[in-house]
Amino acid sequence: MSWISALGPLQWLMILLVPPAVLSLYFLKLKRRELAVPSTLLWRKTLEDVHVNSIWQRLRKNLLLYLQLLFLAFLILACLRPGWSGQNRMGERRIYVIDNSASMQATDVAPSRLDLAKKKVRELLSDTSADDVGMVIAFSDRADVRQGFTKDRNRLFSAVDSIPTTSHGTDVSEALRAAAGLANPGRSSFDNLSDIMVADAIPATVYLLSDGAFGDLGDFDVGKLKIEYIPIGETKTNNLGIVSFAVQRNEDKASKLEAFARITNRGDQKVEFTASLELDGKLLDASTGSVDALGEAGLLFELTDTDEGQLKLTLDYEDALKVDNVAYAAIRPTKQISVLFITPGNNALETALQTPRVQQIASVQVESPTFLSEPAYQAATLDANFDLIIFDQCSPIQMPSSNTLFLGSIPPAIANTTISNTIPDDSKSNGWKFGEPQGPAFILDVNRSNSITQFLEMGSVIIVEARVVDSGESGTVLMTSNIGPVFAIAPRGPFQDAVLGFTIVQATSEGVGVNTNWGNRRSFPVFVYSLVEYLGGGITESSSPTVQPGWPIGLVLSKRFKDFRVVAPDGQSTDLVRGDESRYTFTKTELPGIYQVFAKGIEKPVESFCVNLFSSRESDLAVADSVKMGFDKVAASGTTIQARKETWRWILLFGLALLVVEWIVFNRRVFI
Amino acid sequence: MSESLPIKPSQSTTLLSSETMAKLERMELVSRKIFRGRMKGERRSKRKGQSVEFADFRNYVSGDDLRFIDWNLFARMDRLYLKIFLEEEDLHFYTIIDDSLSMDFGEPSKFFVAKQIAASLAYIGLCRGDRVSVSSFETSSNPIVIRGKASAHRLLGHLASLSCVTSATTMAESIKRFCVKNTGKGIVVLVTDLMNKSGYESALRMLVAREMDIFLIHLLCPEELSPAAQGDLRLVDCEDGDQREVSISAGLLHRYQQALAAFIEQAKSFCNKRSITYVPARSDQAADVLVNEYLRGKGLVR
Repeated sequence: MSWISALGPLQWLMILLVPPAVLSLYFLKLKRRELAVPSTLLWRKTLEDVHVNSIWQRLRKNLLLYLQLLFLAFLILACLRPGWSGQNRMGERRIYVIDNSASMQATDVAPSRLDLAKKKVRELLSDTSADDVGMVIAFSDRADVRQGFTKDRNRLFSAVDSIPTTSHGTDVSEALRAAAGLANPGRSSFDNLSDIMVADAIPATVYLLSDGAFGDLGDFDVGKLKIEYIPIGETKTNNLGIVSFAVQRNEDKASKLEAFARITNRGDQKVEFTASLELDGKLLDASTGSVDALGEAGLLFELTDTDEGQLKLTLDYEDALKVDNVAYAAIRPTKQISVLFITPGNNALETALQTPRVQQIASVQVESPTFLSEPAYQAATLDANFDLIIFDQCSPIQMPSSNTLFLGSIPPAIANTTISNTIPDDSKSNGWKFGEPQGPAFILDVNRSNSITQFLEMGSVIIVEARVVDSGESGTVLMTSNIGPVFAIAPRGPFQDAVLGFTIVQATSEGVGVNTNWGNRRSFPVFVYSLVEYLGGGITESSSPTVQPGWPIGLVLSKRFKDFRVVAPDGQSTDLVRGDESRYTFTKTELPGIYQVFAKGIEKPVESFCVNLFSSRESDLAVADSVKMGFDKVAASGTTIQARKETWRWILLFGLALLVVEWIVFNRRVFI
Repeated sequence: MSESLPIKPSQSTTLLSSETMAKLERMELVSRKIFRGRMKGERRSKRKGQSVEFADFRNYVSGDDLRFIDWNLFARMDRLYLKIFLEEEDLHFYTIIDDSLSMDFGEPSKFFVAKQIAASLAYIGLCRGDRVSVSSFETSSNPIVIRGKASAHRLLGHLASLSCVTSATTMAESIKRFCVKNTGKGIVVLVTDLMNKSGYESALRMLVAREMDIFLIHLLCPEELSPAAQGDLRLVDCEDGDQREVSISAGLLHRYQQALAAFIEQAKSFCNKRSITYVPARSDQAADVLVNEYLRGKGLVR
């Protein structure tokens, strides 16, 4: 016999309390109704032969009690679910894949799409037999295995109930890969080709409960999975959503800001709407607009005299999905990058640093190499007053606490104590090595993936003399010439050092000589601008970066502070601890809204970023009636699931109620 | 809260309707025994006397009233004979009503029906010039004694004034008092439900000892004959407050019927053995029907 309980411990306790309760009914002294009679003479005579004092004797003759106790015994036995363990039969494997992306928050079906999906899964779970094993996976833009394969239905139920709502996008492939793990086992090793399959494929049924807003899965191999797609939601659902909201400075007038929003209408009717823009919680502007069916519309707000603040755009339109009706943006104050340029004289670079574009983002201080020995320099580097220091043909004793660029020189070795104004011949510094001067050199390749060299066109640049730059293991080569790498960048703690293996102009014994024609080329100011922007850490965009909910965001924060904390829209604070990385990665971006970064000891936020849904796919609430998986097209299975409604509990309760009624009727002997 | 069967403390309906009275006027009370009355009445007496009804002849002895000598016989026989006539006398008729609280049940109440029966029989007696005495257990030592049809309103007035009382007087005590007070013989009609826990036997024996013509009208109400009560009850005796807990069931009701039948049978056989006429009666039955049919059948009225 195998005992699999049909009831939970509490329910068992209640059932086991029933027999004593039934027994107590028979002991129970009834509250009797008083009735005046002419005389109890005859009653006394009647009762004389009936009246028995002992309750046990009374019980002994009560047939009903024994029938009821017998009935209860069978009832409890039935609840024990006795069975014979024959072949250990493995039931069906069922995988419940539930979409909890942003679009599942839609309320076109009551109470919401996610709740409906949970309800349907619960119905499906009720239908399963005791041998069936189930698995619960929730997915948004990532898969979340809420419950591995188990026969325990209670655990499956609680796993389903615990699925939270998210504002994430949708990507079902990871969830399906997780589901397929058992059904389509892969190879354990790629080296041993004879090992084709490590385990027998176990077929499984995947119940995919989603609104289908994930597109087709072109390369997914269904294999032995049987996919049942159960669409959740209405096919036609009107929804208005903000898919983009950004703030930027007017090109002509720096003091003017423009906030731009793109609004999409996924319904089949033209929609009029009102959008209100709030700055720091106060209504700033409002605008009305209309969007055609399945169309998009833009909204433009002009903001004057606004240098910083938090913007919130709200669409005043009732639709099924609320989360895409709000968008956030933060205006950042313009930030000046301070650049220190130490050079014995370099007209080309100085000119390039004087261009209006560079001037807009940076303030440049030019000093001669003698400045390096001055106390002002020591103080400035210690306080990290400069975001970028450019060393032209010189190098400091100690590396400053800022990003650096070395032109024709390399960062000093850690133990190097001599002040060197000339190019060091033998550099055994932090992994940086210089080769012997060679020439002429011309650039063969430029690293396009790096922001500094991204837009550079170096084809016509000729270099008289250059040195090969070896940045060590951690560095990245940015330019490669015919003699080898000549420009490289490498991290140094939170900072980055870039080394250019040649100078632009070179001080020789005959005066200043031009080393390269790059200074005349158009790419040079572009290079300088990119350099200042990238190494200066100057993000000059007026609006803060925005990410989709759940996605990590990289934060470039001022090096001046050590400890930061991020305050989420709901007020929750997370500490950021400076590691070796120059960028912080913040991952707790579940809530849409504006996140602010505070430095320790500073009241004003040093940085802010926004989390917005901005997904036209999530805003599109129309439910796909089929999903394409590889070569298979999975049509929606009937919206009505053949679910088994369990009624045995009610029958059980009815039986117990019947027991009580029986007792009352029998004891009062009303109809007998 | 105690719930009781409907009790009618005062019946507004009259004890005797005019039609009933007209019917009763044609009846007369019959005694199986001939009793010596106190006054000249309409009944034959054991005693010889002055009536029109001839009884016998006897020899004249000196001192006899010359008016009763049969002169025709003297002429033929030349001897003096006296004609003897039967004396006609009045009948003593007693009615005793049980006034215990148990009589106050039923619809109409047993007590009311008892009063109706008493009124009917007494009225018959009044119409025939009998001496009528009406009393309850409580007033058994001090009954109303009336004679003549003209006293009918007194009779009815007295009966109407009677009510059930919470009395410590048992049936035996009342009958004892009655016997002490009323030394004469006659017809006794006892209307009672016999629901007396101390027993009715001694009381009846006392009456029997007085050599009276006894009629026992055993009056029971439907509540006693076939109880309609249901469920789990605490039965409270209205007289002594005795409580019995019962759960009414078919079996219990069956046993009750058996007990009731045994009780009636016992009373009946007790009466029969002592030549007491036992008349069972129901309170839901009309009193005049009882008087007209049952009592006529039993030979009390004619």
